[in-house]
Amino acid sequence: MSAPTTIETSELDDQTPPERGATARRWGTPALALAIVVGLLLGYAGGLLTPRLTRPGDASAEAGFARDMVTHHAQAVEMGMIAFQRSTDPEVRSIGGDIASAQQGEIGTMQTWLRSWGLDPAGSEPPMSWMPDGASLVKDGLMPGMATPEDMAKLRAAQGRELDVLFLDLMIKHHLGGIHMIDGVLDASDEPDVVATAQTMKNTQRNDLTNLQNALNRLGG
Amino acid sequence: MSISTPGGPERRPTVVSTGKKPAAGRPAAGAKAGSGKPTGPRPGAGGKGRKPVTPVKVSQGRAWGPIALFVAVGVLAASIIGYGAWASFQGSKPWEERAAEIDGIVNFRKTDKTLVEGGNHQAGSITYSVLPPVAGPHNPSWQNCMGDVYDAPIANEHAVHSLEHGTVWVTYRPDLPADQVSKLAEKVRGKEKLMLSPFEGLDKPISLQAWGYQLKVDNADDKRIDDFIKALRVNASIEGPTALCSQGITATGTTPRDGAQMPQG
Repeated sequence: MSAPTTIETSELDDQTPPERGATARRWGTPALALAIVVGLLLGYAGGLLTPRLTRPGDASAEAGFARDMVTHHAQAVEMGMIAFQRSTDPEVRSIGGDIASAQQGEIGTMQTWLRSWGLDPAGSEPPMSWMPDGASLVKDGLMPGMATPEDMAKLRAAQGRELDVLFLDLMIKHHLGGIHMIDGVLDASDEPDVVATAQTMKNTQRNDLTNLQNALNRLGG
Repeated sequence: MSISTPGGPERRPTVVSTGKKPAAGRPAAGAKAGSGKPTGPRPGAGGKGRKPVTPVKVSQGRAWGPIALFVAVGVLAASIIGYGAWASFQGSKPWEERAAEIDGIVNFRKTDKTLVEGGNHQAGSITYSVLPPVAGPHNPSWQNCMGDVYDAPIANEHAVHSLEHGTVWVTYRPDLPADQVSKLAEKVRGKEKLMLSPFEGLDKPISLQAWGYQLKVDNADDKRIDDFIKALRVNASIEGPTALCSQGITATGTTPRDGAQMPQG
């Protein structure tokens, strides 16, 4: 009951012989000072290193999302700019310009994350591998919702109403795929800035989807 | 684990003279402690029941247990911190250093500063001293570099503009076997700031270009291709990471198209 406790403490006391008391008093203060200095240095080093060690790494979901979403966004910018430049429908033009400029801005945000995390814009992993079963969603190197090179060639060649309908159709698919990826990072990350930005992206793209669908209905697509 | 060694020297006399442990607060238990101790958790403390002998024995040695513990913890902490420091500094090595470590890479930013200085726009055909070109004046229109896989040669004048925007341009000799070409296409397709095209007259089967950098390899399986892309894609841009790759020339053909920034279908 109480005996074991006593045994332990008195044993520790016994380890330091009485004749060492003088020595300990002589060296005690410098030793304590040294210990405090070493402790402070270790704490300082730890404080310096902790942000480096806790920020998202090369294989993290955050880095994977940032890299893949930059690629995904870049194609939305391409499609949006085509609509902005060549559509004959005022609403389609403005949606295209809006999406292109907004997503180009977000590309800058995500590239800044990568740089502040000390990571390259180019990853070492295949696209979407940061998402569970994400790799299976990649077709011909294209992430969910992305237009194929053939789709893009068609869009570049299209004119008038055909261009508007094709753009709206491709952008709706693009946003649906994008929202799937955004949900992926919202599930995987608790990095505040990533979560907040991803949530904003999701809200924006949801609103876009409503407007894109309404415009498509209006044009009878 | 309780490490009370620092407090030991001062407290020890109390224990010796009174046989009671202040912390325990029970004289009877304290007395027992003397006899019970040697059979306690510390090994090698000797026989049991010999109250006077044991304290003397212990007092002759240093408190190796706590010292060993401190050393162990210290070494552990130092190695964790050291490894973390090493790993994070290694991982965040600047891309220039990682590019320089790629075997066989040519860095024109070092050898030819005027070549890589900048991106003046210039219409018409341009003669480049390095082929495939790695930098220099270029057409106002860039080649579309949204992971485009071109199956015919493209104009240098447009391609150099794409390099300026941070693209890694992968070129291959037209006689490269089809399975090798598709391996290259797989790396490129669908990724912005990358493009692939055949290039006539290459002295090696495959040549990679970024602004101011070139690497020639023999085989599409060469690991240095991925290293080159990892270190230089976007990073090599002299106009930052948001320079466009879309809205470029999507047509092939080695004659530059003046005034033709619009997609060519």
